[in-house]
Amino acid sequence: MSTRRKKFSLLLTSLMALTLLVTACGGNNNAASNNNASGSTPSKSEKPVELIWYTVGAPQKDADLVMAEVNKYTKEKINATIKLKMIDFGDYSQKMQVMAASGEPMDIMFTCSWAFDYVQNARKGAFMQLDDLLQNQGKDIVATLDPAFLEGSKVDGHNYGVPANKELPAQEVWRFNKELVDKYNLDITNVKSMESLIPLLKTIKENEPGVTPYAMVKDFVPVMPFDYVIEKLPMAVYLDTEDYKVVNILETPELKETLKTVRTFYKEGFVSPEVSTVTSVDDLYKSGKWLVDRASTQPFADNLWSTSMGYPIVSTPAGDPIIYNWSVMGSMQAISANSKYPEKAMEFLNLLNTDPVLRNMIDSGIEGVHYEKVSENVMKNLDKSKDYDMPTFAFGNVMLTYLNEGDPENKWDEFKKFNESGIDAPLLGFNFDTSKVSTELASVQNVKEEYWAALMTGTVDPDEYLPKAIEKFKAAGLDKVMAEAQRQIDEWRAATGK
Amino acid sequence: MSQRKKKERDFHNLSTPMNISFNLIAGIFSLLCVFPFLFVVIISLTDEGALANNGYRLIPEKWSFSAYQYVFDMGDSLIRSYGVTIFVTVVGTIISLLFMSFYAYAVSRKSFKYRNFFAFFAFFTMLFNGGLVPTYIVVTQLMGLKDTVWALILPLAVNAFYIMILRTFYSTSVPDAIIESGKIDGAGEFRIFLKLVLPLSLPGLATIGLFSTLGYWNDWFNALLYIDNPNLVPLQSMLMRIETSMQFIMQNASNSSLSLEALRSLPQDTSRMAMVVLATLPIIFAYPFFQRYFISGLTIGAVKE
Amino acid sequence: MKMVGEFFKNINRNKVMLFMVLPGALWFLFFSYLPMLGTVIAFKEYRFSRDGFWASIVNSKWVGWDNFKFLFSTDDAYVITRNTLLYNIAFIFIGLILSVILAVILSEITNKRLSKIYQTGMFLPYFLSWVIVGYFTFSFLSSDRGLLNGVFESMGIESIQWYSESKYWPFILVFVYLWKAVGYNSVVYLASIMGIDRSLYEAAMIDGASKMQQIRAITLPLLRPIITIMTLLAIGKIFYADFGLFYQVPRDSGTLYGVTNVIDTYVYRGLKTTGEIGMSAAAGLYQSVVGFTLVMASNYIVRKFDKDNALF
Repeated sequence: MSTRRKKFSLLLTSLMALTLLVTACGGNNNAASNNNASGSTPSKSEKPVELIWYTVGAPQKDADLVMAEVNKYTKEKINATIKLKMIDFGDYSQKMQVMAASGEPMDIMFTCSWAFDYVQNARKGAFMQLDDLLQNQGKDIVATLDPAFLEGSKVDGHNYGVPANKELPAQEVWRFNKELVDKYNLDITNVKSMESLIPLLKTIKENEPGVTPYAMVKDFVPVMPFDYVIEKLPMAVYLDTEDYKVVNILETPELKETLKTVRTFYKEGFVSPEVSTVTSVDDLYKSGKWLVDRASTQPFADNLWSTSMGYPIVSTPAGDPIIYNWSVMGSMQAISANSKYPEKAMEFLNLLNTDPVLRNMIDSGIEGVHYEKVSENVMKNLDKSKDYDMPTFAFGNVMLTYLNEGDPENKWDEFKKFNESGIDAPLLGFNFDTSKVSTELASVQNVKEEYWAALMTGTVDPDEYLPKAIEKFKAAGLDKVMAEAQRQIDEWRAATGK
Repeated sequence: MSQRKKKERDFHNLSTPMNISFNLIAGIFSLLCVFPFLFVVIISLTDEGALANNGYRLIPEKWSFSAYQYVFDMGDSLIRSYGVTIFVTVVGTIISLLFMSFYAYAVSRKSFKYRNFFAFFAFFTMLFNGGLVPTYIVVTQLMGLKDTVWALILPLAVNAFYIMILRTFYSTSVPDAIIESGKIDGAGEFRIFLKLVLPLSLPGLATIGLFSTLGYWNDWFNALLYIDNPNLVPLQSMLMRIETSMQFIMQNASNSSLSLEALRSLPQDTSRMAMVVLATLPIIFAYPFFQRYFISGLTIGAVKE
Repeated sequence: MKMVGEFFKNINRNKVMLFMVLPGALWFLFFSYLPMLGTVIAFKEYRFSRDGFWASIVNSKWVGWDNFKFLFSTDDAYVITRNTLLYNIAFIFIGLILSVILAVILSEITNKRLSKIYQTGMFLPYFLSWVIVGYFTFSFLSSDRGLLNGVFESMGIESIQWYSESKYWPFILVFVYLWKAVGYNSVVYLASIMGIDRSLYEAAMIDGASKMQQIRAITLPLLRPIITIMTLLAIGKIFYADFGLFYQVPRDSGTLYGVTNVIDTYVYRGLKTTGEIGMSAAAGLYQSVVGFTLVMASNYIVRKFDKDNALF
């Protein structure tokens, strides 16, 4: 027994010596990395620049392999190489926030309205202002983009990011599980408002006991005629506004009316009784036990949805295609404020958004390894493509990418048509500067989290809870935030002549 | 060996009814703790379709190993993650035991003039910290640890909470008289520490060693912050990355381009549970390892010899 | 001059101990005290500067106490402070009692192998992340598919909408916390019991003391130092709440906020959109200062009665 104890202490002592040694060695590494200042003699051929690029998505097994190919290509084209670093969706915002705040060396980074918030970080000074770079090194990008992209992504009158050329407006559609639609011969052509869904939902509720008629999640917000100043906070202007007056949507008759309908949905059991805490209805999608839900669409979305669910989906519009700030900022690349090579970075972004070879290499990998070409602009994924599966929308101009086998020939033309059909939202190009009201906003945000989901999903009676919510929002300082928003909007209108 | 048995019997003269009720209480609580984990195992072995149809069930309609198939398809990246986790856990635990056992011993000694200062010096860090960004800068820019395995080890090496516990262990289980007698025998401070103090405080050291091991094994946050290189990502961090990304994508499901592209590459519910099983199973054996040093009834005479 | 000489004499006299403290002290210096300088951003409106973090701090403008205001600006301040404090008090005391009882039971069980199996089982909850614990509570409490409502239904009791009835949640949260933490915490006490000199029990047995008397007269008094320290340290964290417990387990249900909103969740929700790191630093500083004050006060009281067991 005591020998075991002795052994343990012997182990401890010998390891102690070892670690002291190891940690001492580890300290030397720092000295080695400090040698880049010494190369002061100018070399004849300019040394290629290495650009560090942080972007969103799960790290891929074959990334190093593909990037080696990419670097050969970019070295030749613009004398630059790329160091790509992928950070998965869930970690991206937090990690980038910390790295940007600490001045980590970076050149290019992914930013958007839903992760590593573009407007917020542009205001805080994380990104370089790109107005001049876009005119010079990036002029081909400007030529390919619908002007609304650059207009809508301006922060205080300047561009800080390069939007990806993709679908521009956001249009809400009702999605239907076609098997159930066919089974009960439901007529979906006349569906537009939430009320018009009720007879269909009733049919399913009565005849299909195991089915949740409406697949709703806690984030649900009815389609309303508003352009929000901040997404999901109850201050907005009407979409058809003339005077740009900021209203509290909770006090509008439209919302009151709609909430009554949603409440009916809840009471009739069209949605899950726990909808206000449901973050995902993935199990419904997998089992096909739902009739309808709502999603934002893009051309040929029905096909994509049908493929990913494994059964046919049909959809019908629930609103108009409208170009919001957030839809414009769906995917962007920005240049870090501390980048040493902003011109090179823009040259690279320019190439990425205009050169099909580079764009497809980054997106799909190496031809013959990860994919093979079927024709000029159609490709087929090979088995190895699972080791290099990139989120296409996050890497710039989507319309340069090859079509997959089975994609309609006119896919990108339809995208262009869709983009042209978009209607500008009134606040397109206006971005609220929250710094003067950040205290109030923090309180308002907490009130919102408390009441929003319960109200919007119909879980609570609007007659009782709507006045409560309005009062609590007021107490938290919503009026002050709205007044500040109004002031900034008026200023913005005066400056832009809207 | 026979001597030990005899002593244990002497020590535990617990009446049978009491022994039974003690066993019942501990057994039921233990079962309550094991149950959810068993549930995880069952879900990981449930057929994905059956899970979507029926929700979580104790006895699934249909069993399936496909969840593990998904996990094993990750192949060498899974093995590498195990390697990183094991290395970090072993080396980290050793380093932290060293640092902390020294520190705690010094502040436990009444003869150490600055003991209160250093106790406070440690304690203060339990409450105040500089926050994420300043710490990140110190670790990456000042020490240059980014993307090295040391970024997973050093930030967790010392913990004031453990030092305080360890200090209490020293001062309660090592009587001053023993140290004094060591001094009279002419032993130096180090010798006293190694020969007299360490053996007496083994249960305490084992406790802290266990906590360190679990802390290192479960840590995912340091990897999130400091590791970009996919080859250096530990197991829990890989699991957590999938968890959080999944939640994120689900919560942004209304974003059409994101959900269309990212949803299809998401692992299923069952695969995530399979990962939990694979990430937890090995570490269950850590507890018995440290348990061996919870040897009861150490008598001081045995050490003095 | 004399003082300097005295100082070096002291250093020399304590050199072995100082050497032992050195690695840990250096660690604290680098990993804790150096980053603490960054706390100054609690008083700044933090804006990035090209030249890195320190330049950013210097260039950001001072805003005084503005960053702290959001913590106190509405009635929520009362709710979150109350919830954080009450839950932590419950966790500390109930957790302490249960952990000690469990440790005593485990140390007394005659069959050592069984005891070890129980201990290993109790450790498992520690490995499950709050997200997964959240799944489980949901699989019990879900209103239509939950195990509990299923049982209620079969017994003819009306089912309960658990995620919108706040009256049950204080109990649920305390239960879930204890379930996850007690096994882990009891190890400390168990190890302390194992460190108790066995001859004390032998002597007591010769005097004819029963098991209960032994526990009362030997085990518990000898556990007092570790109980005191553990409690003092827990008091320091009394203004911090376990985010996952209060966010994931109630599934962020708005109707439950009255009993589930704590300082950490409030700060998280409030700063989600603006991401002002100055404001989150301010919240952290506030939590630390209150915790620090409370520990110092309790430590002062402990010192009065029981000098040996105080923190310092």
